[in-house]
Amino acid sequence: MKKNNIEGWLFVSPLVIWISLIILVPIYIAFELSLFNVKIIGTSGKFVGIDNYIKLFGKSKFVNASLNSFYWIIGNAICQTFFAFTIALTINYKFPGKKIMANWIILSFIIPTVVVVVIWKLMLSSSSGVINSVLIDIGLLDEATGFFSSPNKAFISLVLINSWRWSPFLALIILSGLNSINREMYDASKVDGANFVQQFLFITFPNLKSVLFVLGLVGTLLSFNIFDIIWLITKGGPSSATTTLPLLIYETAFTKFRISQAATLSIVTSFLLLLFSIIFIKSMAPKEDD
Amino acid sequence: MNKLLLFFISILFSFNAFAVTNVTFWHMEGVPHRVDRIQTLIDEFNTANPDINVTQEVQNWGEIYAKAPASVAAGTAPELLVGIPDFTPILAEMGAAQPVEDFVAELDSKYGFYQKALDQYTYNGHTYAVPLWNMALSLWYRKSDFEAAGIEPPKTWSDLKKAAKALTKDGVYGIGLPGNKQLYTDQTIYSFMVNSGAEEIYNSDGTLRFDNPQTVAAYDVYKELYQYSAPDAANWTWGEAEACFASKGCAMILQFTVISTYDSQAGGDASDLGVIQIPYANGKAHRAGTVSYVNSAMIMTDDEAKMDASKKFLSFLMEPGNYGRFINMEPGLFLPITEAGSKDSTYWDDPVVVKYKSQVETMLDNSTRGSLFGFTNGNTFTSISSISAQNLLAQTLQLTLIDDKSPQDAVSEGMAIMTEAIE
Repeated sequence: MKKNNIEGWLFVSPLVIWISLIILVPIYIAFELSLFNVKIIGTSGKFVGIDNYIKLFGKSKFVNASLNSFYWIIGNAICQTFFAFTIALTINYKFPGKKIMANWIILSFIIPTVVVVVIWKLMLSSSSGVINSVLIDIGLLDEATGFFSSPNKAFISLVLINSWRWSPFLALIILSGLNSINREMYDASKVDGANFVQQFLFITFPNLKSVLFVLGLVGTLLSFNIFDIIWLITKGGPSSATTTLPLLIYETAFTKFRISQAATLSIVTSFLLLLFSIIFIKSMAPKEDD
Repeated sequence: MNKLLLFFISILFSFNAFAVTNVTFWHMEGVPHRVDRIQTLIDEFNTANPDINVTQEVQNWGEIYAKAPASVAAGTAPELLVGIPDFTPILAEMGAAQPVEDFVAELDSKYGFYQKALDQYTYNGHTYAVPLWNMALSLWYRKSDFEAAGIEPPKTWSDLKKAAKALTKDGVYGIGLPGNKQLYTDQTIYSFMVNSGAEEIYNSDGTLRFDNPQTVAAYDVYKELYQYSAPDAANWTWGEAEACFASKGCAMILQFTVISTYDSQAGGDASDLGVIQIPYANGKAHRAGTVSYVNSAMIMTDDEAKMDASKKFLSFLMEPGNYGRFINMEPGLFLPITEAGSKDSTYWDDPVVVKYKSQVETMLDNSTRGSLFGFTNGNTFTSISSISAQNLLAQTLQLTLIDDKSPQDAVSEGMAIMTEAIE
């Protein structure tokens, strides 16, 4: 090894060791726990080997939560991408009040989740919510509806609330990408007669590839791990329709009191996320010649 | 030499004299005025007992099921922890909640606990917590609504169905019943189970007896009544139901109390506020009852000095003169669980209790017929924690309310889920 390499490793080694410790140690503890049948945290359990893993794949709850997580990621990806691009492209144009709007939209992810949840629950209430009243007034509904009363409505409502919360954050990242695109390219394309759609497809989108790659990876992982909004609004219901894998892990550990089963779920979930990240990076990472 | 020895001994004694025993008191009553009332009592106690320092730490119900066992495992558990019956078996099984039957017997001889209060904490030959106050579900309504509809307050399930139907009009829901997979729904469905004779979840050998005709009847009537509830009731907890009643969106609700919100947000006409026993299944007047939750304090330390200090603090709270003020941290919600407490003038002299005296008397009367699933007739097993913590009564209800299975199919499936949960 060259001297420079050794020095380099020495400089980064404290951080590498620290990160390895805070990631690998919990994973090791969780893996060890998953080989036992500990029920309540802090108590001991019998060694069961890979029994927890074998049982896990036969459980309908795991399959249901995995599917919910998958739909949750897809739903959020579609909604958040749409909202974020709409916001970013709008703010990217010059108009009066642009700065106020740019600051205003940040509020949705500055407000604490609990407050967001309370506000949305009040607005969506069937007995006193403003959204039901408006929908009835404009004739879209005959009578008040329960936005969390059926599995589909609850799932869609949650996706929209979560997208409302996170889209502005994603919009700001996209906006920073938009600002780095050379304006001369737009001016030149205008001279060539390009319309808005063509500008978006052939200038904006290709130049945002690296930003979108990061958003795709980080956004998916963030969406997958969303726990608070779902837990506070539906607790995974009705009828487990909004129980995603993070909720299932929490429920298994702290309401079912099966800490080893929860550890098993955590290990499997970590593996799935790692697999996704590797495949995503290998297939979607922008090439140097892009 | 003797002087030196004397000096050291006096130093030793002076240290001992200033040794303070710290007691941390975890509770989940986070509403500011409740915290203030508890602090007032703690300050009085600490002043009267300079060798003990009690401090309160407010937790919340949403986290405590995870936090308390974790704190025990980490060795940072409080000395005193307020809990409800289905929480205690977990901590007792972990060896954290200390048996306190001798201390409870001592308090019983002074203040006379209601037997129902003790039942919820007595099993395996021990009493694991000191009952503090009771909460029991009742049926709340406005008398003027019934007069306008020309009907009498319901006594039986038939009356209740007729009333819910008659009161559902002009955007008002006849009855506000939750369908959430949550503790509130556990409580409301169980109150129907009690009134049909299905209060026993377990057989005496620890096997489940949930799947029986009485339980099915309770789920059946609940499903029928649910059509008169608000569309978003599938997501309700206590607050939404109370808000629905206060805003006149719901004509009737099942609730521990509505007094506070009714008084502050709904005009506060005490003469119009009705409260009655939850209706019973037709022909089962002898089964009339409700669900009740006796809140208690668990002593979580086996350190003798800390145990004694904790007991001293609990004795202080239970003393007439203090007790009324203690449970009136939320007037009209927390009910006395001792004979002496029920007569404590500091309880009945509170302005809110004075204003709603007849309602509070009815609540207190209902509470004496209260029971709790998994804590009936001595058939208590630690596995009840798995059933209640996962809200499996409510989950079973969702099978029929949301998934539209028949009450019989839902109860059978619920029984299977419960059996798996307690394995």
